[in-house]
Amino acid sequence: MARSYLFIPGDVPRMLQNMDVFDADALIVDFEDAIADTAKDEARDLTRAFLTKHGKNVPPLYIRINAVDTSAFATDVASLPTDVAGVVLPKTDLNALARFRATHEEMKKAPPKIIALIETPRALFDVLAIADDPLVVGLMLGGEDLTSAIGAERTAARTEIATARGLIVLAAAAAEIDAIDTPYPVVDDITGLMRDIDQSRAFGFDAKACIHPNHVDAINRAFVPSATAIDEAERIVAMHEKTKSMRFSLDGKMVDKPIITRAKALLKRAKQGADDA
Amino acid sequence: MKTTTDIAAIFDDFNVKDGASISFHHHLRNGDAVQNHVLDEARRRKLKNLRLYPSAVFPVHRVLKTLLEEGAVASLTTNYLNGPVAEYFAKEASGDILRMQSHGGRARAVIEGDNPIDIAFVAAPAVDAQKNASGLEGPAACGSLGYAMEDVKHAKHVVLVTDTLVDHLENPQIDGTDVDAVLVLDSIGDPKGITSGTLSLTRDPIGMKIARSAMRLLDALGVIKEGFSFQSGAGGVSLRVVDMLNEKMTRDRIHASFFSGGITGHHVKMLEAGLVETLYDVQCFDLEAIASLRRNASHIAISADRYANPNNPDRVIADLDCVILGATEIDLDFNVNVTTDSHNTIIGGSGGHSDTAEDAKLSLIVTPLIKGRIPVIKERVTTITTPGKTVDVLITERGIAINPARQGIIETAQKAGLHVDTIEGLMAIAHTLTGVPASTARKTHPIGFVESRRGERLDTLHAKE
Repeated sequence: MARSYLFIPGDVPRMLQNMDVFDADALIVDFEDAIADTAKDEARDLTRAFLTKHGKNVPPLYIRINAVDTSAFATDVASLPTDVAGVVLPKTDLNALARFRATHEEMKKAPPKIIALIETPRALFDVLAIADDPLVVGLMLGGEDLTSAIGAERTAARTEIATARGLIVLAAAAAEIDAIDTPYPVVDDITGLMRDIDQSRAFGFDAKACIHPNHVDAINRAFVPSATAIDEAERIVAMHEKTKSMRFSLDGKMVDKPIITRAKALLKRAKQGADDA
Repeated sequence: MKTTTDIAAIFDDFNVKDGASISFHHHLRNGDAVQNHVLDEARRRKLKNLRLYPSAVFPVHRVLKTLLEEGAVASLTTNYLNGPVAEYFAKEASGDILRMQSHGGRARAVIEGDNPIDIAFVAAPAVDAQKNASGLEGPAACGSLGYAMEDVKHAKHVVLVTDTLVDHLENPQIDGTDVDAVLVLDSIGDPKGITSGTLSLTRDPIGMKIARSAMRLLDALGVIKEGFSFQSGAGGVSLRVVDMLNEKMTRDRIHASFFSGGITGHHVKMLEAGLVETLYDVQCFDLEAIASLRRNASHIAISADRYANPNNPDRVIADLDCVILGATEIDLDFNVNVTTDSHNTIIGGSGGHSDTAEDAKLSLIVTPLIKGRIPVIKERVTTITTPGKTVDVLITERGIAINPARQGIIETAQKAGLHVDTIEGLMAIAHTLTGVPASTARKTHPIGFVESRRGERLDTLHAKE
């Protein structure tokens, strides 16, 4: 379970070379927005060459390919490195998922796992169906594109994306996949980042994406559970293991399967945090 | 004693002639006009066999290069060297005339007669009627005059060179009773080259990672505790560590006893927040540090002797808990080079590097594992500036290597869950990314040597390949 997803531009050798030192739990090599049309081939070639030689020791790595309605999409699919964890699919909606599958079928390629980038108004009305797609392993909010699509101004309180955040967290929870919050776009504003992370946590996101390595540390720290939460989760899991029961009472509160599952996930995340500390 | 505007009169009065030993300090750094003015006069007089003792040489010091080219310099002894003079030694020098000392080593050598100085030309930003001097006033204000103080006490003759005469200085750093003459110029230096504005903390993610690792190690080793002492350079990573220290000390209400060395506005901020009791300042790096030296009684200008002379039992760094230093190269024995690049071009020098590494209880080297596609770790450094036996830890973005002689540090770091590797292991990681660099064995003639702070010959300097 990743806490932080760091975007790395696919055409910058220094960033590729150092991708494993930034302490991100997962990486997203970008072939889309951060890459000029004229540099997309360079990004594909550099990334493939780097992964071939140095890909064994990097964290789980996704490629943000270009959207299904772009000319670069088919090339991205055809040349996708085989050893990646999956792709981040821009402007995911039900149509995009269908075209993604169809393209892979035409190329006789097994489709990779998808982190669905939810960044259009239409996608939000389909978000549960998207989350339920067996290829989709996570939902990621694309806050900047969504804000632009609805004609809103970005605010400090992020009220313009509040509904989207809620829907994405609910859909991900219903489908039992990860909800990943949108990056905080201002690189040097660590105070703003911390406020944004607090909002992510309050909405119930499992993780947060970031566009700069200097945001990773704050995200990793924030997505580690509190000592009180760890203590409660440990007691829930201990009681479950002792009684072998999926339903029991602890401290006067009823505990059942989802609570046990959540407690196990929380302990896993806490262990990651302890290993990093 | 006299005050004059005529450099020729000074040379005549103090009999500056062939073979003269002349010293300068470097507090005006790349804005210094004094060394050029004095050496221009030496050139006009066609003096030969000069023995020069500038505490550092910067790109602005072009006349020195000309004198070297003309064969007028018998020896050059300094602590730091870059710019055209460094290029001269890389490409044109034919003699073995360069001696590189440390700041503490220079102070020791001046006091003990190893650097015998006939005449010290001391750039003095302000001088009063009693020939006292201060670095705090005047257009060329530079703050501390720490590197000039031993020269003033031990040179046969002392000439203050100033552009600002005042009636009275309140707290002079140089006592007029040691001064023989004052030379007044229109300007002793360009303020733009003397100090910078606020020095930047690194925002580079690799530098940030290194700084975080340094903080985690300091935490694990229990260094950051009430009353601790600390020194760092003015590089971006070092200053980022200072900033992180500031955050931690504020949060945990920890107070340091002193910070020492070159002082910046970042250190001043912590002094004025009550986080550190005293700043011992041998050199101000920015305008904030100069302003603080004027207004804060616990910001104290100290001499190079008080700072780092290994034979001074009261030296400040003898009580230093931790120092953070950089490296151009480091080798498998933890020897550090900050004097030359791997082609033998001189790019700096010890300054206080070897002094503080030896004296501090904990010496950390912080550096990216790869710089400009070249691994920082080599089997053998091109030049030894700081002996590996005085270096405790190397911190890079890909792991920490601890000197095997420091088993206690290794065990504590491992128990704390830090990613500890061997220095050989880190070198191997670098080589997987860069390949193994070709050997750069020395094939050229010697041009001088690096001297330890106690005056022993540490390594030979060679002309560029």
